[in-house]
Amino acid sequence: MAHDQRILAPTMAAQRVTDLDWMSRDEVQAATAKNHLDRFLRSVERRALRIAELSVGHRDEALDLVQEAMLAFVRNYAGKPEAEWPPLFYRVLDSRVTDWHRRSQVRGRWLAVLWPTRDDEEDTDPIAMAVDAAETGPLARLASENAGEALDAALRQLPLRQRQAFLLRIWEGLDVADTATAMRCGEGSVKTHLWRALNALRTALEAHR
Amino acid sequence: MKPTPDPNQPNWTEQARSLLEASTQSLDAATLSRLNRARQRALAVAQRPANALRWAPGLAAAALLLAVLFWWPYPKHSPAEARAPTLLPEDAELLAEGEFEMTDDPEFYAWLDADGEHNG
Repeated sequence: MAHDQRILAPTMAAQRVTDLDWMSRDEVQAATAKNHLDRFLRSVERRALRIAELSVGHRDEALDLVQEAMLAFVRNYAGKPEAEWPPLFYRVLDSRVTDWHRRSQVRGRWLAVLWPTRDDEEDTDPIAMAVDAAETGPLARLASENAGEALDAALRQLPLRQRQAFLLRIWEGLDVADTATAMRCGEGSVKTHLWRALNALRTALEAHR
Repeated sequence: MKPTPDPNQPNWTEQARSLLEASTQSLDAATLSRLNRARQRALAVAQRPANALRWAPGLAAAALLLAVLFWWPYPKHSPAEARAPTLLPEDAELLAEGEFEMTDDPEFYAWLDADGEHNG
């Protein structure tokens, strides 16, 4: 029996090599591209789900939005260079989240009271936008077991654009230009949204203390 | 993607990032399964163009055949071909009746000249 296995093992390996030989160059390229796409989607799917969940407030709906975003991303942007994938994927997700909010507002105007639209486009004083990096911040003053819940609650209270700017810049680590691409706005708007998000989060977390 | 700390951001944002990252590690099995299915569905879409390309040669051949069938009954002539002399049916009748022998009659040409001057 063991002797048979020693004979079969090299035979099966040779069969696999033969199978690979039969794959055309196009098929090899397609398989490689699929592997790269799979790896990329695996790397972003959990954060994308949490970002969508923080925006829409329901996990099931967030899962649907992530699935739609994955499908649309693959259809429209899979052929782009891999370096461009993160901002493009979040651009698609941002578009789906924005559409979800529009549909929700059409379904029930009363939801506008819960998600008021605010004008975040106006410029702010650049001196006022400077941050104190040495400040320990509100999360350090929260008990560790409550910090996650408090952060979630504070993020849910943010206007959509401020929340997207914070999550894409601070959590996903996109630079300002890529965040602007993902949010379909100018870099100045990204800075403004982020500044307001940081201030709002600080205020909300300090109030939660 | 693992973001690097930005010195321009306040320190507490690093803690916020850690908390958010920890929240992705506590997702339940059902959620992870749905994420996996969503990813597989998207990857299946990614493979469709490659399969469609297999039909490309057949589609190209069919398009070529249609083009040939469409254009064959209407061949285009070049301007030079259009200017080339053609044998009209009435000319053929004259040739068949032997009237081309008039071209050998000098009186005919004299009459033609005289008629031209007279009318001219």
